[in-house]
Order: sequence, then structure tokens, then C-alpha cells
Amino acid sequence: MKRILFGVMFFTFIGINTSFAQSKQIKVKVDGLSCPFCAYGLEKNFKKIDGVSDIKINIKKGTLSFAIQKGKTISEEQIKKKVEQAGFTPREITYPKMAVKKEK
Amino acid sequence: MERKEIAVAKKGSMYLLKPTYFYWIMLVFGFLSFNKTGYTQGPPIFTDSPILLGLEGRGVRTFSKYIVKENAQIYIHPIIVPLNITAKLVLGGIVPFVKKNPDNLESQSGFGDVSIFAKYVVVQKDKTAKTFRVALKALGTFPTGKTNTEPPISLNAYQSYVGIVTGYITTKYGLYGELGYKVVSKGLPNNLVYNIAIGYPLLPVTYPAKQINLNMGLNGNSSIENDQTTILASPGVQYIAGRRFLVEGGVQFPLIQNLPKENRIKVIYTFGIRVLIF
Repeated sequence: MKRILFGVMFFTFIGINTSFAQSKQIKVKVDGLSCPFCAYGLEKNFKKIDGVSDIKINIKKGTLSFAIQKGKTISEEQIKKKVEQAGFTPREITYPKMAVKKEK
Repeated sequence: MERKEIAVAKKGSMYLLKPTYFYWIMLVFGFLSFNKTGYTQGPPIFTDSPILLGLEGRGVRTFSKYIVKENAQIYIHPIIVPLNITAKLVLGGIVPFVKKNPDNLESQSGFGDVSIFAKYVVVQKDKTAKTFRVALKALGTFPTGKTNTEPPISLNAYQSYVGIVTGYITTKYGLYGELGYKVVSKGLPNNLVYNIAIGYPLLPVTYPAKQINLNMGLNGNSSIENDQTTILASPGVQYIAGRRFLVEGGVQFPLIQNLPKENRIKVIYTFGIRVLIF
């Protein structure tokens, strides 16, 4: 019984941590992503941005997600420009409010 | 359990499949339909692509091409270096090494005619996990190779090519096409060039991932002045080992070829790599 209880607590803890980590990710919907060999340019472009890490690309869903270090900011304009420079079309951006410099 | 399965197979039709075959077929169909949702594929091997990104924009491509003709064997090893100026414009150069081995003459080798090219994307329609692009292409070839050998390494003429390159690329397949016209100086025949290709992935992938892609294409070349046409069937296979490296190979053989006998192609073998360096 103790083991079951411990197991439930362990997996609940992992679940909480995962969702916390995911909420820190800025997610960008990118249209035109259809091949991994061309998606690499997108990853490289975002790697160049100071403070950006943990870049993930999902070709099937057409999404790019990345984390931004505490204290660093990135604007919506900057994100869109980087996607366009990589040869793709940026769509919706979802992000944690703290990480983004608001456009005026 | 086994009896029930056999009964299901027998119920369907007079032309019965053995239960083993029936389940194997179901398994294969199931596997294909399951995997289709996650497929992606790479650049075409024998046709140009309007995608100017990744290996097509900042990579070096090189391959060995071994052409077996009626009366000669020709080995060509070009190095192709494209460079993205913007996401919509790529400039590049091609430097080939050529070795000609005619049946009745000494073999000759050396650097062949150098080419420079440009591609510019004029149409780009992007959707989730798919894209349709059209690029204009221009290519110039200069007679930089040796002309004082027999057979000569150079064509000894300027060649100017303009064409249109299209592609509809989804995660399930890629369709590519190219139509262009090559003007050759010194009264040599001009050429109409027409290529189509389809790329189909064999492995389900995520990014970055290893991929195996099948390619099937037709490569056509017609000289209107001489009424000469060659259409090659061009199957190939490609292995993408990750973000930066791709290895590919294929065989081309003529479907239609109304050329003088000495110019006829028997078969072309190609094996090459693409490496992302920039």
C-alpha cells in the first residue's frame, strides 16, 4: 500500500514539474515546415538569440518552442523576423507573459 | 481463437486468402496508414528544388556520376556550393571534375566547365506542415575546362539556362518539377529541360531524425533543332543522418532516347553526399 502511495505521489510530482516546465516555453506556430533538413535553419536562427535555449521543433504540428532565460526578453517582432529569415511563415505566438517585451 | 480467425477470412469471399496472408496484409496496411501521419521527406536527387533552406541553401553537395555510353564511360564529380543571400535568394557555383574514357581513345581527365547559378523564390504559400514554392532559376556555364585534348573535357561553348522550379512539399510526400531552356553558343543545339520527381519517406520521423526516402523521377532533355530527345527514369534512395548530413544514390536509365548511336546512354549511376557547413 505504501509503495502504491509513493508511486502515485512520485508520478504526480513529475506531472506537476512537466507542466511547469512547459508553461515556460514560448510556442510559435510556423507554417511551411515540411522537411527536417530545411527546419534546421529555423533552429539555428533561434540559437543565435541571446538567452534562448531548449529549442524544439515539431514538424507535424508546425510548431517551434523554446525557453528564454530569466531576465532576458524577446519581442514578438523579433520572433516573427527570425522565423521569416529562416524562410517560413510565422503565425500565432503563445508565451509566458514575463518573458516577453510588449510591443507598443 | 484460431478457428474464429479462419472463419472471418472464409466468410468474406470465394477467393479466400490464407489467414496468415490476410493478417500480414492487414498488418502492412495498418503499418503504412499509421506511419503516414508522421512522415517527412528530403530533397529530390535528380531534380532541382525550390526550397532554398538547410542543405539546399547552406550545404555543400558532391556526388560521383558514372555515365555508361555506347562507346565511352564518363565519370563526373561536381562540387556544388549554394549560399543563401536571403531566405528567398540563393547564389552558388559548380566545379566539376571530369574523366572521359572512350573505347577507342586514351582517357582524359581534368576540371570541367564551371557554372554559377541563382535561384529566387517568387511564390511561397505556407500551411501547417506543407509548402508550395516556385523559384526562378538561372545558370551560366563557362568553357573553363580543357579543350586541347581528344576527347576534350570542355564543351568549349557558353551555356545559359533559365528555368522555373516548383515544389509542393508535405510531411507525407514531395512533388517537384522543373522546366527550363538552355541556349548554347557556337551554333550547338539548344535544349529544353523538363524534370519531375516525387519523394516518399519510408520511416516515421520527428525532428531531428534519421530518414530514409525513396525518390522517383523522370529527367527529360530535348533538342528541338535536332529533333533529339532523351527521357531518363531516375529512381533513387536517400538517407538523412541528422541535421547536417545526407547520403544519396540512384540509377538513371533511358526510357526514350533518339540520339545518334555513339551518344546513347546505357545507364548512369550516381552516389553522393550533402553536408551542411555554414
